[in-house]
Amino acid sequence: MKRRPPRGPDFGRALPAGLPAPGGASAIVETAVAIAIERLRYSYPPLRPGAPPVEALRGVDLVVRRGELLALMGPIGAGKSTLCQAIAGLVPHAWGGTFGGHVLVEGLDTRRVEPADLCRRVGLVFQDPETQLFNVSVEDEVAFGPESLALPRDEIARRIDWALSVVHLADCRHRSPRQLSGGQKQRLAIAAALAARPAILVLDEPTASLDPRGSREVYQVIAELRRSGDITVVLVEQDAERVAEFADRVAVLAEGRVAALGSPAEVFATPGLPERLGLAPPPVCELAARLRADEPDLPPVVTLADAERALAARLEDRAPSPTLPARGADGQVALSPGPPVLEVRDLWYRYESGVEALRGVSLAVQAGERLAIVGQNGSGKTTLAKHFNGLLRPTRGAVLVEGEDASRRSIGELARRVGYVFQNPDHQIFAATVWDELAFGPRQLGTPEAEVRKRVEEALAFFRLEPYRDEPPAALGFGLRRAVGLAAVLTMHPLVLVLDEPFTGLDWRATAAALDWLRELSRRGHTVVLVTHDMRSVAEFAERVLVLAEGQVVALDSPRSLFQRPDVLAATSLARPQIAELAARLRPHGLIGDSLTVCELAADYRRARGRPPR
Amino acid sequence: MELYVDRDSWLHRLDPRTKLAFTLAGAVLLLLTNSVWLILGWLVAAHAILLSARVPWARLRWVWRVMLPLTVLVPILWPLFYREGATLIALGPVQITGLSLVRGVAVGLRIDALAFVWFVLLFATDQTRLIRGLVRLGLPYSWGLTAAIALRYLPTLQDTYTTVSEAQQARGLVLGRGHLLKAARAQLPILVAVLIGALRATDQLALALQARAYNPRRPRTSYRELRLTPLDGLLLVGIAAFTLAYLGARLALGFGASPVGFGS
Repeated sequence: MKRRPPRGPDFGRALPAGLPAPGGASAIVETAVAIAIERLRYSYPPLRPGAPPVEALRGVDLVVRRGELLALMGPIGAGKSTLCQAIAGLVPHAWGGTFGGHVLVEGLDTRRVEPADLCRRVGLVFQDPETQLFNVSVEDEVAFGPESLALPRDEIARRIDWALSVVHLADCRHRSPRQLSGGQKQRLAIAAALAARPAILVLDEPTASLDPRGSREVYQVIAELRRSGDITVVLVEQDAERVAEFADRVAVLAEGRVAALGSPAEVFATPGLPERLGLAPPPVCELAARLRADEPDLPPVVTLADAERALAARLEDRAPSPTLPARGADGQVALSPGPPVLEVRDLWYRYESGVEALRGVSLAVQAGERLAIVGQNGSGKTTLAKHFNGLLRPTRGAVLVEGEDASRRSIGELARRVGYVFQNPDHQIFAATVWDELAFGPRQLGTPEAEVRKRVEEALAFFRLEPYRDEPPAALGFGLRRAVGLAAVLTMHPLVLVLDEPFTGLDWRATAAALDWLRELSRRGHTVVLVTHDMRSVAEFAERVLVLAEGQVVALDSPRSLFQRPDVLAATSLARPQIAELAARLRPHGLIGDSLTVCELAADYRRARGRPPR
Repeated sequence: MELYVDRDSWLHRLDPRTKLAFTLAGAVLLLLTNSVWLILGWLVAAHAILLSARVPWARLRWVWRVMLPLTVLVPILWPLFYREGATLIALGPVQITGLSLVRGVAVGLRIDALAFVWFVLLFATDQTRLIRGLVRLGLPYSWGLTAAIALRYLPTLQDTYTTVSEAQQARGLVLGRGHLLKAARAQLPILVAVLIGALRATDQLALALQARAYNPRRPRTSYRELRLTPLDGLLLVGIAAFTLAYLGARLALGFGASPVGFGS
């Protein structure tokens, strides 16, 4: 007895006839298993008629135990989102396509149960708050699921109260979701999913677009949920540090299959495994891997706490070595001499709504400098960055580009000197082919066609986009779209490159590759201004860091000096990246305590243990 | 684009169906009314209702501002094209009659009155309750949900347009220069990007809806109930009675048919 697929524009494709019955898998269900996935294969319908179907999963076998938190990791395109949607039944019911194998959720076969019924067992939270919150008030949003399940009013009221209290949004009950912060929005999305009281919660990169504060809020809610109830969590997360801290097990997907499955220690700390998997382990794991060359008896290290415990104990063994001077004199950064390429003098900016986003900011950026601008959402980072190319004009104060007043030039004229890469590449991509997309900028600037061709070819090579030159950029995967967005601005050969949160949604490997590109650009003489939340990028890339809070400059320092100022960090709710934090914690045990990278900390440690540096 | 004015007043607390009844009755009756005095009466009544509902003057002024072109142009143009009754002024081939002047003013003001009668509904009813009201009156739920989601995403679409416009300008796109066709073509990179974004968002939204058990063929319950209070009942009866009386007077006695005075 085969169920007919639901009708409607999304369900145009019928499930293939002759699917084998699931056999014995649905007969006996172990109570300790929440999700059983066997030989799952799935292909999306083709992108264009006549084109081949898009293979997403190529034989996934996975068992998720009740009550555990399983992290799903893997490069973009590995099939993580597809797997999440398969657990919720959206694959195949919402997409059609070709489905093989089976997914059993609490004993139910997802092929035979509609998503509307599955959602009592599986709650799904997507990455983008904007497209999963579609109601007018917080209360309505949480009520929507139970309403769709046709629950009686008093039950719905109870569930709303419960869900909002779990995510700490009870006092925002009547507000519009649009007024909430990023962290609040994602918490609302969790509440809306929980209202159906599922036993399984699947979160697909829930914090990718959030600032550090929002991210912490969401993880706090997940931790509390696990403590207070018997909930199973499947979490797609790129940040290895979070995975190491929260996950019971990690499943690594690659090319549609499970490439590795084990505890965080097994996946991150097994020598050579992360590299083979294309995974970037937490920095402390990398550190431990290096130190193990000299000290093979080092215990497994996966979290910051592990590292602190292991190394502190060993440092106590030896007498502290004579204190060596800190690296690089405090705050002194060797910048190029000469007039600043970008300057901001006592800049004030007030939005039409009355919000004063910038209150007297002054800054001088030298040619070739690598500057990072950090601060919480709402601190004025993006507002400041938008003044550099004229998207915003000062309410008061001056902005100078190459010594000239920027307000005398149009955005188009400034675009020649200052390139601005927007956070969301989809806000720029519109052309029919990658080639045309990259050519758009220089053509708009009136560059002669021969030069345009040369620049586009250069960019295609630099970013390894050659295989996609004739593809529509909008149809490419996210990481590639980011690359196209960046390349499209670079073909304009701007003197200064401003990037607004360019790494959201990327894992560390991709981020490190992007930072390499940016370093190369900096070497070629471009100035790079990076607006970011990612403190590890700041540590490894920036020469100077500008810290903003409530529209004012709180600090302008080298990363190394900034991370020695816990008062500034605390006041702005910013955290040191893992290595800098570890170094600071090991200082009382004899380490210099100002390292920024794994290499530096490893060298410090060796020195402290009395070994010659490598 | 947020038309709803969030206040707690008698008008806000009324069932949306009652307000809809008022608005529809008002629209029908106004379209049958030609008398300047009666139209002014409708305008005053609409203002009184809105002000008693604590809708700020600023909002009412906004409506007048938006309607200004029509309010001014119609009374000016009407007498140039229509002639009724005795001539007041003769300007060459054009003859301006007193009656058509008055009728022009009446028609112009009638458009404003119609607008205000609709705003009695729109300023005092939030989108969700309005759509729930329509659904209770028989609109299929999926249509209501579509309308509600479209209204909810309108501001988002506007924001996306602004962001994309900035992003493309940062790549050297120049807007607002050149003749109409050139300026229109300059909008293309923006519109295409916005459209692609909207399509992507639609896909995501469809997934989110289904992940929350949405299924148009299944029955659903409603958390926010719409209940007709005694006041609603009273007003509905009153509106019905008033409408019938007005219609009767208009059709049988010609009440309000003439632009001047009250009779025919």
